[in-house]
Amino acid sequence: MASSLHSNHTQICPNPTALNGGSASDGKSQISKKPRLYADPPPLFTPSDIISEFSHHDPAVARINNGSFGCCPSLVLSAQNQLQLQWLRQPDNFYFNQLQPKIIQSRTIIKDIINADHVDEVSIVDNATTAAAIVLQQIAWGFAEGKFCRGDAAVMLHYAYGAVKKSVEAYVTRVGGYVIEVPLPFPVSSVDEIVKEFRQALRRGKENGRKVRLAVIDHVTSMPTVVIPVKELVTICREEGVDQVFVDAAHGIGCVDVDMKQIGADFYASNLHKWFFCPPSVAFLYCKKSTNNSDLHHPVVSHEYGNGLAIESSWIGTRDYSSYLVVPKVLEFINRFEGGIEGIKKRNHEYVVEMGQMLVKAWGTHLGCPPEMCSSMVMVGLPACLGISSDHDALELRSFLRDKFGVEVPIYYRPPKDGEEGGVVTGYARISYQVYNKVEDYYKFRDAINQLVDSAFTCASLPIS
Amino acid sequence: MQHDDPRNGESTHRSSKKPKISSQFITESDIRDEFSHHHPRVARINNGSFGSCPGSVLAAQRHWQLQFLRQPDAFYFNSLRDGITASRKIIKDLINADHVDEVSLVDNATTAAAIVLQRIGRSFAEGKFQKNDTVLMLHCAYEAVKKSIQAYVTRAGGSVIEVRLPFPVNSEVEIISELKKSIDEGKSNGRRIRLAIIDHITSMPSVVIPVKELVRICRAEGIEQVFVDAAHAIGSVKVDVKEVGADFYVSNLHKWFFCPPSVAFLYCNKSTTSSDLHHPVVSHEYGNGLPIESAWTGTRDYSSQLVVPAVLEFVNRFEGGIEGIMKRNHDQVVKMGKMLAESWGTNLGSPPEMSAAMIMVGLPSRLCLNSEKDALKLRSHLRDCYEVEVPIFHQVPKDGEEGVRDKDGFITGYVRISHQVYNTLEDYEKLRDAINQLVEDGKTCKMLFKE
Repeated sequence: MASSLHSNHTQICPNPTALNGGSASDGKSQISKKPRLYADPPPLFTPSDIISEFSHHDPAVARINNGSFGCCPSLVLSAQNQLQLQWLRQPDNFYFNQLQPKIIQSRTIIKDIINADHVDEVSIVDNATTAAAIVLQQIAWGFAEGKFCRGDAAVMLHYAYGAVKKSVEAYVTRVGGYVIEVPLPFPVSSVDEIVKEFRQALRRGKENGRKVRLAVIDHVTSMPTVVIPVKELVTICREEGVDQVFVDAAHGIGCVDVDMKQIGADFYASNLHKWFFCPPSVAFLYCKKSTNNSDLHHPVVSHEYGNGLAIESSWIGTRDYSSYLVVPKVLEFINRFEGGIEGIKKRNHEYVVEMGQMLVKAWGTHLGCPPEMCSSMVMVGLPACLGISSDHDALELRSFLRDKFGVEVPIYYRPPKDGEEGGVVTGYARISYQVYNKVEDYYKFRDAINQLVDSAFTCASLPIS
Repeated sequence: MQHDDPRNGESTHRSSKKPKISSQFITESDIRDEFSHHHPRVARINNGSFGSCPGSVLAAQRHWQLQFLRQPDAFYFNSLRDGITASRKIIKDLINADHVDEVSLVDNATTAAAIVLQRIGRSFAEGKFQKNDTVLMLHCAYEAVKKSIQAYVTRAGGSVIEVRLPFPVNSEVEIISELKKSIDEGKSNGRRIRLAIIDHITSMPSVVIPVKELVRICRAEGIEQVFVDAAHAIGSVKVDVKEVGADFYVSNLHKWFFCPPSVAFLYCNKSTTSSDLHHPVVSHEYGNGLPIESAWTGTRDYSSQLVVPAVLEFVNRFEGGIEGIMKRNHDQVVKMGKMLAESWGTNLGSPPEMSAAMIMVGLPSRLCLNSEKDALKLRSHLRDCYEVEVPIFHQVPKDGEEGVRDKDGFITGYVRISHQVYNTLEDYEKLRDAINQLVEDGKTCKMLFKE
């Protein structure tokens, strides 16, 4: 079993150009293009190369939570360290001569990968949380300066990330905006369910002559994780006259297909440290040029204020910007995998589905969504007898798995719906697959849960902390 | 050594009869090791801009970074919060704050300014302040702070008063008198001054401001709140927030307190500031108080916030700890400043007692430094052709005022030299000789080109 997961990594492709493709869309074929740095392209990573690249991970831990904090290979960490040393060696010289060109280089690479039109549309920021604050702050000014009327609405998904919900509270609710949450079913069985709920929420948003000023749509929700049909939802937003659409794709790049022109949103933010092998932390915020976004500002104001968001974000006071600058090295890294980032995404998806199905079979449960609605993460139902009956239980069980079994996996509590009988699944684990994972990680998890079930463990028996 | 080694705390004579255990204090060669990552040939006399960080603190930082990379979830749930609290406690003690709740760690003073000014902006937007209520700042306030005022105050309808400080400055009295004038102006036409932003140590030109006295005046004149921007303070002057008496006080730890880039503390007086202060990057911690909000602004590398204990260990290897370092830095920078002024036939921008670990030294008028552009050109030229790193200030001659002269003309340019523990006499001699060479060769700023 173990070898089948890695067989693709050991194939040495005789013809570099055959590595292109794996995806029909023209816009993405650039991703697998090898950088023209070598006479012969560097060889594909072997399984032992990969183990070595992630040798700084705790070997005793089954690390199946790539979604929360991502990962970064040694090759990239070394490059980051070099950049840090360059700064420390002579910071003034780095500031005046190196920093800006290197940030532009990173932005240009990202622009190509995401199929944006202009590098001006690409700003680099710390993380999706920061990007959300940037987008929402201009909404707040819209209310404060009378461009929007009190009661105008913002729409977001019920499963929006906690930080984004708070940001909406801080920058929209506080200044008189009306917030609508789109309830989404979970478990979910088709995209139609999501589209239906979204349409209904937009209609509610427009009641009483309200204008919907912003829709915040996750590309891949966090907890519970599901891939949202963003392109379709953006189209609906345009049809229904929503002012601006912001796609929160924290899990986007390296995890799902990220094509700005195809998706068509006004704003799109994605972390690069989750699924794109960057060190903590770095993200991009794409702002479509045609949108009126001259009013976008980084909340930390420096002397670059007014020079455009991309420039403002490239200097927010003295900081360690090294994580922003390693994107070229990351490209080198991913191009040593067959199929580049497309190949990685495809295999991650296939393996996480395979592992998810293995687990639900072993536990007699079910996946939270059909395979085509998940990316490189999937929700796996936990046996009902574990008695997960609150968010607190979910957190406690997670800590218990970490401390007692060496398994790192986030757990989601799904409250039973009215009319559901006892014995229903109320807990789901969000498993992930990234290039460093091996089948043993999931066996470890499978066996840990089986052991708990066999010993009649329930969350109620956990010590109160 | 060709000069008194300042690190032994003796300024008057070199004595071999020092009654101490040989390994008690950090040695010269230890210090060279600690800063061996600095470019060996560059005369690094601009500690003010980007600071410095010794090898042992960088190693501590690396240790924290590796912990996160090894098992980030365990780090997040079990180590991060406690590590930040430990740093905050140390800082609370260092600055004489009452409660650790009053101490938040943020990236830098620029971020702290955004936090304080965003609140002011909200107060205007929510009608708590009247249109044209005022914010007062120094004319030479840091550019980022000025822009932040534009972004959050002017935009929301507030107006701004700038206090013009004289430069060169001869005494604190001059500063106090300018402040009083500006306060009167700010209060004219029934306006209220909602916030005064006062630098503890101005950036360019650099002068130590009598903050305690200025805060007292602000209170006496009914200014609602005072924010001291002390980006350069901790590790270069004494920082006692109760003594200073401001509502907000921010200082960078990566400039003079040996932290890696970047980390600063923002002190908010518990009894005079509201709980409505928020970090602009909103996370799930929103509403839990600024220190908690600032301790989690999304996935980040927080290692620079965690090394404060390692820094304390480092400074305590020096005789007199941070106080000893501050005193020696000050004595040396004044000494070097005077050496340069004498060699160039120019002046110091402020009296020694109004400087800390940085001082402004006049450049020979023959260099004809007549614009910001000239200043930048000269700075680049010194970097590229002489391996000297020093920031340069263009002094705009005031209308109708007699400027300071040297034997050839008006002095319109100043270098801001700094002294930190890694500096040697040779650094300043390099600068001295470079400038003398340029003057000898008849060079003016206009003639310089970047190589």
